Amino acid sequence: MTAPRDTGLRRRASDRPPAVVDLLDGDTLLQIAEQAWLALVGEDEVLVPLPAPLPADTSSSWVEIVGPWTGAVVLTCGRDTAAELTRALLGEHAPAVLEAEDVDDALGELANVVGGNVKAVLPGPSVLGLPEVGATPPAGSRADTRRVAVLWRGQPLTVSVQSPLHTERENEVPL
Amino acid sequence: MTVRALVIDDSRAMRRIVTGILEGLGYETRQAGHGQEALDVLHEGWTPDLCTIDWNMPVMDGLQFVNAVRANPAWRAVTLMMVTSESEHGQIVRALAAGAHEYVIKPFTADAIRDKLALLGLLPQEVAL
Repeated sequence: MTAPRDTGLRRRASDRPPAVVDLLDGDTLLQIAEQAWLALVGEDEVLVPLPAPLPADTSSSWVEIVGPWTGAVVLTCGRDTAAELTRALLGEHAPAVLEAEDVDDALGELANVVGGNVKAVLPGPSVLGLPEVGATPPAGSRADTRRVAVLWRGQPLTVSVQSPLHTERENEVPL
Repeated sequence: MTVRALVIDDSRAMRRIVTGILEGLGYETRQAGHGQEALDVLHEGWTPDLCTIDWNMPVMDGLQFVNAVRANPAWRAVTLMMVTSESEHGQIVRALAAGAHEYVIKPFTADAIRDKLALLGLLPQEVAL
């Protein structure tokens, strides 16, 4: 007896793109963020894995990953925290008065570094986009989002690896 | 003897960090925000001993820059070091195959940069001693 011919007309469950929750655990994501903080923000700068509500006025940076898993790595914090992060990242090179461009640039680079290292633990090959900064994007679908909430210097911050930013907003988890 | 470095990264913050490390080691530095801007510096006649190169940049990315530099025999002596968050093995192989000498993955420490430069024989003499 011959096996039924696969016409390719029906999608199998295994054809579905993988969900990030199956590819990346929270501990790994936290470790990636911690390494970025220690190297870029400062040797004594720790991220405490404690969830706390974000302030109303937030800023986000993100990079998109396109590959077997496609989505975005989004870093979100309060605007004041973003400015404090920029000062810490620039250290002695920080200007006396920070421009918005400095803050966007620093926040974008943090997302870039975290995103690059997230990409490395996901199935490849993948392409990493350029960092973008702006208002906090809509959350991803609950089934395809891995998110860690931390405190940095007592201020809340989230790192979210989530499904593409342009997808429908059903089943969202709040950022 | 002065050792020159061209720091190429689209992030101003990252350029400041890398420049600070290199100047602390005694380098004379210039900066470029993408590969084309860096090529413009080379075409000006300012030839560095070292280029640190981000991968993902607008206009001209780091790999395109490496290919352009390696295509010009006049720049054969320039050492090319990728400093990037691209950490997939395949990407590292691509960069090295294109002619990059070293690869540093972000995030990095100042010691990591110094160690790579020591391996390349590019630490200014007074620092290497």
